[in-house]
Amino acid sequence: MTAKKYVDIYEAYDRFYEGERVREDQWDYTIVPNNATMIKEKYDISFGPDIIPTDPDLTDRLFLAGMDMLLTTGFYNTDLGRVMYITEEELFEGLKMAPRKLTLGRGKEKCKCKARRGNAKSKPVVQGGPTGAPVSESVFVPMIESYVQEPVVDTIVSGVLNTVDGHPVTANTPWEIKATMAEIRHVREAMLKSQRPGMCI
Amino acid sequence: MKPFDAHECSQLNELKIDMSALNMLAGWAPTGDILMMEQMPIFGGYTGGVEETTICDVATMIASFVIFDCDIHLDGPIHIRWGTTTTRETLKIAAHAAAALDFNTDFLLANQYYTLAGPCTDMCLLETAAQAITDTASGRELISGVASSKGVMQDKTTGLESRMMGEAALATCGMEIETVNEVLDNIVSLYEKNYAKAPQGKRFQDCYNVRKVEPTDEYIDIYDGVLRTLLDCGIEL
Repeated sequence: MTAKKYVDIYEAYDRFYEGERVREDQWDYTIVPNNATMIKEKYDISFGPDIIPTDPDLTDRLFLAGMDMLLTTGFYNTDLGRVMYITEEELFEGLKMAPRKLTLGRGKEKCKCKARRGNAKSKPVVQGGPTGAPVSESVFVPMIESYVQEPVVDTIVSGVLNTVDGHPVTANTPWEIKATMAEIRHVREAMLKSQRPGMCI
Repeated sequence: MKPFDAHECSQLNELKIDMSALNMLAGWAPTGDILMMEQMPIFGGYTGGVEETTICDVATMIASFVIFDCDIHLDGPIHIRWGTTTTRETLKIAAHAAAALDFNTDFLLANQYYTLAGPCTDMCLLETAAQAITDTASGRELISGVASSKGVMQDKTTGLESRMMGEAALATCGMEIETVNEVLDNIVSLYEKNYAKAPQGKRFQDCYNVRKVEPTDEYIDIYDGVLRTLLDCGIEL
């Protein structure tokens, strides 16, 4: 049956709220692993020695297996302890909603992130940075500068401060918010110092 | 954050999410913000083997777009024993999952980098190159890194690892996949025997001149040495 519309975040919440109750350990240790094994057998998924796949039939079956895994298993909300499902038609509507290209950054640092196909001649966007690794306040700005100044780097991914103004950063406290704001400020300062203020964070 | 930046939020392992993430998405989506949804499937975790983890990874990525309405999915298959994305198994998961979606959708797919070795070591740069080659050849649109030393050691990340990531990606673009697989086998074989004794590497302030923001001569020598090793493995950066 044709889908009425794609599933958005509000519809997702409503489906979680009204969804089937499942214990989290049941989800982790029984439902997900059993479904993955069953679907692997159903679609005859078996990899050879190569890291990059060379068999287009295998990658097509893998795509179908991934769709089946999502449709059959659903998605679990850990706070509500409930499972939501989407239909195949809704899945296809959602596929159409996904963007094929995005613009990241501004001015001279603007870059396009657009769909590549296989090992295309166009390079992927290069996002440089500590990728969430812990960084001392004393070296935060120069460390980020070390990424910004690399010509091959297009956008920046930040690191994590574990102190702000010398105060420890505890998760789920106002200090965590303060540290996050400080990280953004420091990244912008590093971009300004390296004369690339328009880079995307 | 500005409209040209990207907001990141995470799913949970495996095929799970919490209210905190849903609420963040509800705040960002209506304003047209760019949304990057992250999830790092665990090889050897709930789903077990390489194929099962890959199937779950594909399902996870589809969910990011069709349920949570994100714009880019940030992947990162991770090895349960070593905590890295650069092992042969996790590279294989990342490559197969990306290729499956690349040939069947126009999704914007990203991958993130967690190496076992730390900065200023051959192994860290070889791990980084191997993953950049894998991600580029399997059709990813964005590569994000590098969290050297598994991203858990204070100050053990630097810009030179990102240079390696970007230069390796550039060198890979357009190569025949059969050649890429040979190159990857050569590179991964060089470091996969060293997992138990991976070099810790140096902190940023110990391998960069912090005031000038320049890598030390020692680190540049190591970088140049790795370029020669990669040439021997079949790829020229």
